[in-house]
Amino acid sequence: MTMRKFASLLFVIFGTLFSHTTFATLLSMELTRGIAGAMPIVITPFSIQGVPPTEDMAAIISNDLKNSGRFKLSTSKMDDKVVGAVKEVGAGRYQVSFQLLEGKGASQPTVLLNRHYTVSGNELRALAHHMSDAIYLQLTGVRGVFSTRLAYVVKQGEKHILEVADQDGYDPRPILTSSASIMSPAWSHDGKRIAYVSFENERAAIYITNVATGARSLVSEFKGLNQAPAWSPDDRKLALVLSKDGLANIYIMDLASHQLTQLTHDYSYINTEPSWSPNGRSLIFTSNRGGNAQIYQLDLASKAVTRLSFDGSYNARASYTPDGNHITMLNRESGAYNIGILDLDTGVFRVLTNTGSDNESPSMAPNGSMILYGTQYNGRNVLSMVASDGSVQIRLPARNGEVQDPAWSPFLT
Amino acid sequence: MQLRSRVKNLMIMGCVLALSSCAAPGHKDQGQDGAYGAGDNSVQSSGVGQRSHFGDSAAGPNQSLAKRTYYFDYDKSEIHAQDKAAISGNADYLMSHPHAKVILEGHTDPRGSREYNVALGERRANAVAEFMKAKGVNPEQIRVVSYGAQRLAAPGRTEHDYQLDRRVVLVYVR
Repeated sequence: MTMRKFASLLFVIFGTLFSHTTFATLLSMELTRGIAGAMPIVITPFSIQGVPPTEDMAAIISNDLKNSGRFKLSTSKMDDKVVGAVKEVGAGRYQVSFQLLEGKGASQPTVLLNRHYTVSGNELRALAHHMSDAIYLQLTGVRGVFSTRLAYVVKQGEKHILEVADQDGYDPRPILTSSASIMSPAWSHDGKRIAYVSFENERAAIYITNVATGARSLVSEFKGLNQAPAWSPDDRKLALVLSKDGLANIYIMDLASHQLTQLTHDYSYINTEPSWSPNGRSLIFTSNRGGNAQIYQLDLASKAVTRLSFDGSYNARASYTPDGNHITMLNRESGAYNIGILDLDTGVFRVLTNTGSDNESPSMAPNGSMILYGTQYNGRNVLSMVASDGSVQIRLPARNGEVQDPAWSPFLT
Repeated sequence: MQLRSRVKNLMIMGCVLALSSCAAPGHKDQGQDGAYGAGDNSVQSSGVGQRSHFGDSAAGPNQSLAKRTYYFDYDKSEIHAQDKAAISGNADYLMSHPHAKVILEGHTDPRGSREYNVALGERRANAVAEFMKAKGVNPEQIRVVSYGAQRLAAPGRTEHDYQLDRRVVLVYVR
């Protein structure tokens, strides 16, 4: 059995199992579907010398690894183990060390990781995520996303907030607070800027905000639509949607000169949601030129357009996996809006969500392992994550108000 | 005084038909997104000035002039036959009042992709704008803005709510 077939089989099993499960009421990040054969790992409480830190390092690492869906917490001597120590060294600083030790199940148990750091107390949480990344990479061979961040829009009554939080939902910080709608946040590939659409003057405009300083600049305020910003891989250009000449068409703006190049020339149909291929040679976008919304690819050199999606009556908001081999998208089939993934080599399309809610805005983790998206839970808009092989599903912490339109950051370190 | 009460009546009719909150005369229409131009820490909001609803008996049947919300089918931007009289009535008003201006706000239901919905909302508003221009309205009197699914008319997730969400709202501006 090939790996892909095995993954499909797993998906079918879990899909069947969980489609009949009623989720319990939850107020925190919650793993609602875990992987069969998750790796067992022992994480012991860190030893503490001096003034105890405010953060429980072992608890943060445990949550990270457990919520990745790839690990399950164990107490067996046979399993790999994380041990650590935190020592207060004065002036609010700490010496932190941890080791990843092979379990007695290994033929010749060795020390896999042995790291030491000196940080200030307010860096301990970030350091714990950094340790999770190291452990995840060591044991899975894939770079972890525990130090990445999420951008999303919160709607509290008449207030709209563009917010950035750690990938586990902690430490939310406002980037923009407005009395008007905010939508479509998009991270630059260097992780330093976020482009978004704001309706603050009763018309759509695209702005870019520097995440660290909060400084922002107006990028696009043409007559009509100013929508769906998407950064080129080198962050020098922004693909965007304008309707200044009639209907929604896709353009590329050079960010240094603000010069526009029109890519689609369609005056009968919608063209929107451009997304760059990782190599920057093509864009995928949503168009209803075939009668209903489907995903198309535009080759930037030849300008040739190819239809990519064929499953379902509606496909939109597509984006590539980091390896460029798959695209994730919003898929409508039998009236249900789900998140799906298309294998560009085989043409095989798989639906990953089965929540029974109307899902929206899929955004890929920078390691391709998970897809962040908007859904509904208890009648409110919330964020959720699903593994790109369907094996893991996580709901993010409930917040006051509606949480929607998420975007996963690139690697930030 | 008589004109004032007539304006008020028209506004009430407009409110009922639009199924949305209307502002009192002389006050801003706050819409669903709240007070435009209100003080805000991080957004320097400049606003677009006062909005108000005009009423004028000379512009044709009151009923058609007051009907300023037009509904659409799922993923469609074709004007319903029963709305054409109302759109024509407002087109006549604009032609006889060359200084009057309207915003056509396009909206969709919450399902599907947010950005596709903004484009779809614009198509709906454009359909109404084109109909009015074909009647002879000066394009300078019309501005189109699409909010997609960002300002729902009905918060629920039933087919009835969706029908109320899929709309173009005609707003007179000063």
